[in-house]
Amino acid sequence: MKIVCLIKFIPDVEDFKYDHERNVLIREKMNQILNPEDAVAVAFALNVKKYYPSTTIELVSMGPQSIIPKLEELLRLDLDQATLITDLAFVGSDTYATSRIIAHYLTKHKFDLILTGTHTLDGDTSHVPAQIAQWLGLPHLSNVNSIHMNSIDLGRLELSVDHDQEIMSFAVSTPAVLSLQKEAPYKLPYVRFEDLNKDVSERLKMLSLKDFDLKREDVGFEGSKTKVIKTYAQTLNRQTKIEVTTDEAGIQTVYDYLKDKGFLK
Amino acid sequence: MNHDTLLIELSKILGKDQINTNPEELYDASADRYKKYAKARKVLNVPAPVAIIYPKTSREVSTLLKFCNDNDINVIARGGKTATEGGLENWKETTLIIDAKFLDKIIKVDYYNMQATVQAGVALQTLEDVVRQMGFTTGHSPQSKPVAKFGGLVATRSIGQFSTLYGGIEDMVVGLECVFPNGHISLIKNVSRRAGGPDIRHIAIGNEGTLCYITEVTVKLFKYYPQNNQFFGYLIKDVDTGISILREVMVNGYRPSVARTYSEGDAGQHFYHFHKGKCVLLFMAEGNVDIVEATAKGILKAVDKFSDGILEKVDSKLIEDWFNHLNWSQKDIDDEIEGMLEKDYHAGFTTEVSADWETIVQIYKNVMRRITKEFPRANDLTLLGGHSSHSYINGTNMYFVYNYKINCNPEDELRIYHHPLQTIIVEETLKLGGSMCHHHGIGKYRNEWTKQEHGSAYFMLEKLKEAFDPKGIMNYGTIFPQEDGKKYQK
Repeated sequence: MKIVCLIKFIPDVEDFKYDHERNVLIREKMNQILNPEDAVAVAFALNVKKYYPSTTIELVSMGPQSIIPKLEELLRLDLDQATLITDLAFVGSDTYATSRIIAHYLTKHKFDLILTGTHTLDGDTSHVPAQIAQWLGLPHLSNVNSIHMNSIDLGRLELSVDHDQEIMSFAVSTPAVLSLQKEAPYKLPYVRFEDLNKDVSERLKMLSLKDFDLKREDVGFEGSKTKVIKTYAQTLNRQTKIEVTTDEAGIQTVYDYLKDKGFLK
Repeated sequence: MNHDTLLIELSKILGKDQINTNPEELYDASADRYKKYAKARKVLNVPAPVAIIYPKTSREVSTLLKFCNDNDINVIARGGKTATEGGLENWKETTLIIDAKFLDKIIKVDYYNMQATVQAGVALQTLEDVVRQMGFTTGHSPQSKPVAKFGGLVATRSIGQFSTLYGGIEDMVVGLECVFPNGHISLIKNVSRRAGGPDIRHIAIGNEGTLCYITEVTVKLFKYYPQNNQFFGYLIKDVDTGISILREVMVNGYRPSVARTYSEGDAGQHFYHFHKGKCVLLFMAEGNVDIVEATAKGILKAVDKFSDGILEKVDSKLIEDWFNHLNWSQKDIDDEIEGMLEKDYHAGFTTEVSADWETIVQIYKNVMRRITKEFPRANDLTLLGGHSSHSYINGTNMYFVYNYKINCNPEDELRIYHHPLQTIIVEETLKLGGSMCHHHGIGKYRNEWTKQEHGSAYFMLEKLKEAFDPKGIMNYGTIFPQEDGKKYQK
């Protein structure tokens, strides 16, 4: 079985530093992390490989070359190949153009299953997986929270989907696109100490616009259906800082605050 | 000797209640707090000892050590289990842990001659509680006071939080009894001072169980005047200012019991309620009224001299409150392990070094610069800083502190996080002529630098080992580097 994992690296939201004087995010040296739901998808793929050792896993990501070290870190797990789609021409691609570029790559390759996350922490539209499935003419399910391992070699996957307040069971024929959610019980393992500096460059492939049968106007800003009319920095109100001491008055202040905000009844 | 035979032989020397082969306790005895996270995650990569044994007398210790020496059995001496540098970790397939649990008698408390004699397994807190009732103190107060025992405190050259007044354990030990691998029992008598050749107490003090087993200790007592304590706290501009003020106090002959400077980051974890993102300087003056008054004057004078670096005075009640919550109990240790399991987070890893006044700030700055620039997992650090907490007339210590999120397999944590950080700290310290180990000992994880630490004087250490433990049965891998220990270190 061949599994393709579509992944994206995003700024670490826990590492955001904010310039309160200028009201802007400080983006310099911001740490990039693997989108948490994409990590769940890769973790599940690794589980499959553990269960069915003949499985091969390819990572596909679109982004700047600065994410190469991050892809290499992932390759040091038991992953077979990573493909980075990277070109300045792709900058500004919206979800439509992005899904078109990635789908274009996938149409030329054989696979049995495409796994990805349902949401990304930075964009959160959930468009890309569904649009890729549309381009490829494949079934797609999002918010997948478990896939029954025993059903994998039957050509018909049995899985559970988190739908609001209920968990629904589905069966889907492969190939298919499945978007996992972060609540799914799959955790990405860590690279072993012995493999931390392993050379994996041979398993990393980079593609640019010239490798696609796409024109310049199909990608980037030009190829995007979404037009940005205006951007602005969200206005933040400075919070009043309240300092309390560990005495009765301080405890009362904290209690009143939590009650006021609805955390206590 | 195979393990079954060993246990049979032990049963001929000791009673049933003195031999412990409980698998969980043997697992616990495989390593100390250095590997606390891996231990809690049940992924320790070192062999378990064959048994933990509990001698009841010095004579039994002697018999056991001679037996181990004759049969090439590795021995690890154990007290309160608070070692942090791998000194209690086992690197041999056949090892016995000799625990001081039953050496638990307070032998004599002599208030007239201001000294107390205890067996190695007496907890420091136990003696402290006894002498406090009579208005005295041992003056020794490491953070581990409620748990640590005298044998371990002396064997690791421990220091307490009031060292600037009372000194380290080496200044407190009057005499001691210890047992060597050949079974010989040496008693070093208790005298106020003597010039009888080299001070042989120092062969046992700090030996970390590599030369002998300490069975009995006599320590000094001091009059205790808690009612006179005075506290001083300041927010200061930078670490340089704090070190300058500490120096000013010390070189003018004052001996506050607590004298500390915290970096911004470290201050944040101790004084979150008042540090305001700044460095913190604090003192405690202790002793009889006259001494406290004089010490307080000295502190104020020093602070005044460097007033340009003082940002704000801190309410002394806040310093007193902090002081009253300094020690950690067994419950704190257990809670810490629980916390690490819940959050994959390591709080409070430290490396403590020392140097002269001129050098210590440079070491601090070099370390901060190198870690920020070179440490590949710098993004996982949630705290990086340090404090000076033990000062002397000619210099002080720097206690580097670092907390981090653990984003790796538990068995790799130390090699990925702690060891590279410690390497930078040790390298920068040794480069500038400081000591890499102010008070935690060398253990097994700083032994790669023991030769550098001692330079040409390493000859003397080696000769001591050859003389007292020629077969190398005492705490294999501690202090003295071993080639086959590298597999656990790197």
